[in-house]
Amino acid sequence: MFNQTRRWYAFNIRVLLVFCFIALSIVPCPGIELADEVDDATEKERQLNFFHEQVEPILARHCYDCHSHRSQSIESGLALDWRSGWESGGARGKAIVPSKPEESLLIRAVQHQDAKLKMPEEKLADSEIELLIRWVQGGAYDDRVSEPKLEEPRDWWSLKPLDQPSIPAVKNADESNNPIDAFVSAKLQQAGLSHSPAASPREIVRRLYLDLIGLPPTIEDVAAFEQDPSDAAYEAMVDRLLASERYGERWARHWMDTIHFAESHGYEHDVGRDHAWPYRDYLIRSLNADKDWATLIREQLAVDYYKPDATDLLPALGFLGAGTFDLSTYSTGPVTFDYIDRDDMVTQTMAAFVSTTANCARCHAHKFDPITQEDYYSLQAVFSGVLKGDVGYDADSAIANERRRLNRLLDAARRRDKSILQSDPAQQMVAKWLQSHRDPATWSELRPVSFVSSDGATLTRDDNGVIVASGANPETDIYTLTGQTGLKKITALQLELFPHDSLPMKGPGRCQNGNLHLSEVAITVFSAGKSSGEPLKIARASADFNQEGWGIERAIDGNAKTAWGIFPEIGKPHQAVFELAEPIALTPDATITVVLKQLHGGSHLIGAFRVSMTDAALPSVAIMPADVRAALAIEETQRTESLNLLLAAHAVAEVASGQLQRLPEQSQVYAVGKSVQIPAGNGKYQAGAIAEPKKVHLLQRGQIDKPKQEIPPGALVVLDHARQSFAVSESMTEPMRRAALAEWLSHRENVLTWRSAVNRAWHYHFGRGLCDTPSDFGRMGGVPSHPELIDWLAVWFRDSAGGSMKQLHRLIVTSHTYRQASATREEPAGVDSENRLLWRQNSHRLDADAFRDFVLSVSGKLDFTMYGPSVQHFKQSPGPQSTPNLDYATYDWNTPGSNRRSIYRYVWRGIPDPLMAALDFPDLGLLSPVRSESASPLQALALMNNSFVLHFGQAMADDVVKIEADPAMQVKIVVQRCWLREPSEGEVKTMMAHVSEFGLASLCRVLMNSSEFLMVQ
Amino acid sequence: MNSQNSKQIDRVQNEAVASLSRRQLLLGGGSLACLALADMLASNGSLRASEVVSDVQGDSQASKAVVTRSPKVKRVIQLFMTGGASPMDTFDYKPELERLHGQMLGPKDKPEGFTAPAGAIMKSPFPFQQHGETGRWVSSVFPEQAKLVDEMAFLMAMTTKTNVHGPGTYMMNSGFLLPGFPCLGAWVSYALGNLTDNLPTFVVLPDARGLPYNQKGCFSAGFLPSTHEGLVIQASSKTALPDLFADQSKFGYATAEASQDGLELLQAINGKFAGAHGGDARLESRLASYELAAKMQLSAPEAFDLSQESQETHRSYGLDQAPTEDFGRRCLLARRMIERGVRFVQVWSGPQGAVNNWDNHGNIQTELPPMALSVDRPIAALLRDLKSRGLDQDTLVIWTTEFGRTPFAQGSLGRDHNGGSFVTWLWGAGVKPGVSYGQSDDWGYQAVENKTWCYDLHATILHMLGIDHLKLTVRQNGIDRRLTDVHGRVIHEILNS
Repeated sequence: MFNQTRRWYAFNIRVLLVFCFIALSIVPCPGIELADEVDDATEKERQLNFFHEQVEPILARHCYDCHSHRSQSIESGLALDWRSGWESGGARGKAIVPSKPEESLLIRAVQHQDAKLKMPEEKLADSEIELLIRWVQGGAYDDRVSEPKLEEPRDWWSLKPLDQPSIPAVKNADESNNPIDAFVSAKLQQAGLSHSPAASPREIVRRLYLDLIGLPPTIEDVAAFEQDPSDAAYEAMVDRLLASERYGERWARHWMDTIHFAESHGYEHDVGRDHAWPYRDYLIRSLNADKDWATLIREQLAVDYYKPDATDLLPALGFLGAGTFDLSTYSTGPVTFDYIDRDDMVTQTMAAFVSTTANCARCHAHKFDPITQEDYYSLQAVFSGVLKGDVGYDADSAIANERRRLNRLLDAARRRDKSILQSDPAQQMVAKWLQSHRDPATWSELRPVSFVSSDGATLTRDDNGVIVASGANPETDIYTLTGQTGLKKITALQLELFPHDSLPMKGPGRCQNGNLHLSEVAITVFSAGKSSGEPLKIARASADFNQEGWGIERAIDGNAKTAWGIFPEIGKPHQAVFELAEPIALTPDATITVVLKQLHGGSHLIGAFRVSMTDAALPSVAIMPADVRAALAIEETQRTESLNLLLAAHAVAEVASGQLQRLPEQSQVYAVGKSVQIPAGNGKYQAGAIAEPKKVHLLQRGQIDKPKQEIPPGALVVLDHARQSFAVSESMTEPMRRAALAEWLSHRENVLTWRSAVNRAWHYHFGRGLCDTPSDFGRMGGVPSHPELIDWLAVWFRDSAGGSMKQLHRLIVTSHTYRQASATREEPAGVDSENRLLWRQNSHRLDADAFRDFVLSVSGKLDFTMYGPSVQHFKQSPGPQSTPNLDYATYDWNTPGSNRRSIYRYVWRGIPDPLMAALDFPDLGLLSPVRSESASPLQALALMNNSFVLHFGQAMADDVVKIEADPAMQVKIVVQRCWLREPSEGEVKTMMAHVSEFGLASLCRVLMNSSEFLMVQ
Repeated sequence: MNSQNSKQIDRVQNEAVASLSRRQLLLGGGSLACLALADMLASNGSLRASEVVSDVQGDSQASKAVVTRSPKVKRVIQLFMTGGASPMDTFDYKPELERLHGQMLGPKDKPEGFTAPAGAIMKSPFPFQQHGETGRWVSSVFPEQAKLVDEMAFLMAMTTKTNVHGPGTYMMNSGFLLPGFPCLGAWVSYALGNLTDNLPTFVVLPDARGLPYNQKGCFSAGFLPSTHEGLVIQASSKTALPDLFADQSKFGYATAEASQDGLELLQAINGKFAGAHGGDARLESRLASYELAAKMQLSAPEAFDLSQESQETHRSYGLDQAPTEDFGRRCLLARRMIERGVRFVQVWSGPQGAVNNWDNHGNIQTELPPMALSVDRPIAALLRDLKSRGLDQDTLVIWTTEFGRTPFAQGSLGRDHNGGSFVTWLWGAGVKPGVSYGQSDDWGYQAVENKTWCYDLHATILHMLGIDHLKLTVRQNGIDRRLTDVHGRVIHEILNS
């Protein structure tokens, strides 16, 4: 709390420079002749211009970050943003001695003359230094005599308090009652303009479908509306589309652009993220369910805090994992990585929800907006407790509960928590376990008829059945034993290792340090009369001791590169038990083969060992720690309380971990967490974990080698609502930090949030926001054309619509402003050529995703399958390092799933799909709040010749030929599908001429390239 | 195009050119019409952005916004050595390393971005000799380039902000450590447009063995329109440009005749549609884009056909020998493209990864020479060829890499990443031949004198192209983005006049 207050104070005394040199007041000096006065005036004007045009920009560019009122603290007390500043100078004294550059500290500093006074660090250009010298030489003319003026930080449209303006009383176009039309009409009328008439039924149906669901209507849909173009029919259509599951598929894409969601890391190791898709599914489901905006914010930032029991919603955190991940810097430059990766999360979160470029304050206070460096680093601190990577979750909350229960028991066992271990449920578990462990298992030696080394070691069996290796000591070895036990069934195998005088360090291994590595164990039963053996599945392994990182489970994981080891417990006997998945009945003549693979290398081989089997019931055979075995050996009545607790802890841990192993495997989502698995390419993962949130420091000039004070979590101080959620910042834990930011963002008082949400929706409905920089509402962003309308919509969306996006869409698309024609008109075009006043709707080209879906749709091949792993429209092969090679060119479009909607496409950040890229699918290395729309010869080539277009052109022709035999009718049908209208006779004739020579598919290809197909009017 | 419509377009264009820079056009509030118009300016035969911007005598205001002077350079070939080419084993002779060889003098803690702790000081395993009248020291790995040092200008103290390949390669191409920013080639395409309608403006020739670090990120247009991204061409593939023609082996219906007739039908349909939607410049722009596509179809195959070059040329570029074949082919292709009006060509040496590039962690003595061999002769041939054809009069060639390497051994024979100092050379139009600017310390570890950053290199290249790097900006998420971020100084010391 203190911290926040201090920062708030610091902010208020901070000032923003206002340049107001409009009036040039030149005071003639007394006693000077009139003629000279004129000359003097001219000279002063010249000096003034010189200063403001040439000198001041240099000071502003290179010095103001630290030496002006707008910097957070005026460094060394030297301000260069007004005359008195440099006259009185800073800690080192007067900065400028007019007419004496050589005596002026400022000049010496920029010339880097003194080793201790080199300013700025990056030396100015010689030309700039020359200009400064010239200025000082000429008397250092500077008319900035008044101290830079305070500017109210919230004196900017997007930061002003959010009050709902009253709806202008104007006569609306088409007698609309929609408030949007009133606001737009008021502005139009001021400019002497008016709305355009309504778009034609065909245009509006096509526009609405593509806008709300991203798919075209059928010609029947168009015809129906042409029959009944009433408001009621229109509204029914709107409701139907908003209720369609296709809606979420369309609008999820917009949000994914906004937050640069893609399914690979980017950078050098552009590794795929095969578990990123659950976030996409979360988005589609949430948008279709019309979750209110505040809920969407809270879930995406901290669903684990708000809804810990709704584990199926955990993929919401995929929001924070949307961006890039530099695996290389993560591995080799960890400090750099932390700041850069958190920057990615901060930038994205602030741009997406509050249209703020907080990241501009990384190196210095934001140059244009009221955002301090402390604000920025406080936002970094919000995310300093999480890492990006795959996080496990249970989509089924019942399983999640069970997992939680068992983990709590495991944890209690680890902590020897009496209250839990002595509770009734735990005691029942303990009793049952003790029952099953009353009688220790008896083991029967596998009496081998043969035992061989694959690599030439000599194996000798002594009287006790212990096999000792000697002679050749190869790098790796495989021992194969074949024999019988005399048992009628077996449930487990025991491997005993023994120290032996012949072994280095007395063994039990043959490595110089006495260690060994058992890579894999295989057991096979051969029954009489059967030519092939039956491999036995091993379910669980336990050992009396596991070397750190070389646990016994590694001997049964099917991976020859991992193994069990016993270092540093050398020179001692050890045991390992391998429990079979199911008991196996043995015929008397059955033989058993045991294979012990030791493939690690470096002669990590077994030196002395014995193999035996048991028929005892599971799980009593598992190896127990020595202290547990000792406790069990004591009569029950003789056990002390601490021994009972020890046994209870062991029993509970055994039972709980057994049950945990039987739970279904967790699902994975690429998101953020304290403990994650980072995709590292070629199917490999790197474990990453953050125990406690890392300390975040303010970095001077954004440089990691210049850390200043530690900064606790927080948000923008200029909007000081919800600061109590950060109040306990010192003790704040993960995920409270993220939740605190979510509270700040979703707060009804956050004026940016609500303005941002409505403007972003508007952007997609009109091709342009009321503020045309949807992710930047700062002073460098666009100036809104209708600020009152944004405010009215923001309050309406927050209060009346309860944050419902679907209600907002409905309000917008039912307005006349939305429904009006997009054709240009000469008169308004002369006044407002950019259509900022919305005298018509904007037309646009289909974006890449809509184009692709449109093609699939008209080809009759669109597959509506929803959800699940993304479809890869490329062939993947191993690359030079962890990034694979992707081959888009030879992809077979007959592959199942390839005709699903574009939202299910696997988007590889660094290796884009050439067709999609040609159609302006954005580079998702950065946030993409607005897609560009270009036309180029390369785009034309892609549209004509890309295999996707050619394949589905053929598919469309095949589909039409199946349902219609008459060639002229076929042409009519393809035109109906692509253009949603009947072709004219002339058009049919021209097209028939082409079709008769080159076939229907060729026409389909042409139509998919046509402007009437690609443009949305 | 009907006449009224065409007049309207002309009027719009003239007004636009009279009052707006290309950048303002694109950003004219982000309006779509403006975008299309700007792109049309870049590609429309009647009014090319290249003419608009580079013809300072003309009456366009656009030129004044960006152009500083009449440009010396019209086209650029960027040779990029993937992995961090070692300076102290190539161009930056450090006798001090011989004296200190074997001593543990490096940083005790592993610096950020090093892949291992620093080992002992390691001298170069290669002998150095002085070459040319300028007496430049060059190691034995570059015997052919050594003969041309008098024509090159060297930046001997380049430095960067990172020791990691991904961010480093981004930085040397886009000026930023992060993905998503336009690279130099894209900015040049954006600012100047094309020199020819027949070929793409910005072409990328990656190593046949794979893409460099960041995949296509270093050829990206970032937040600029996608038109400006580098077009990747696999020099060894049969089809010159991707999707230049339909693949008839898969799609039998898309014959050359069907494509031709289809294009005519399309243009008729689209023309009619444009006429019915008068005043929409984007529709005209779409029409133009297909016309230009047809032109490319006519010209591109010839441009990529190396069989038209003489045996002697093939030999001089090293196409007859396995080690130089791939890089040589791409250098030769680069020359053919530059000659035919491609504005910017990137030629990459080496893919990403642990082998076959300049990232010689394991053993400088065995890993560096094959890389040096693969590029040395082709580069020398390229420079001589450009000169003999007079292309050096308006072509700039840049040789660079993402960072240098440590003077300390990694293991006992390799060198680790080092952003402290590395070498770049420039050659061709506008370059002062034989100069050297900047100096690294006695070990070649850090740049100490006249340090230059990618910002300065980029500012200089833009300057040579007639572009003021301070004025070439695009507003993106609250910042007027430049290729040179908030830095950059034109290195006049290496420029002719």
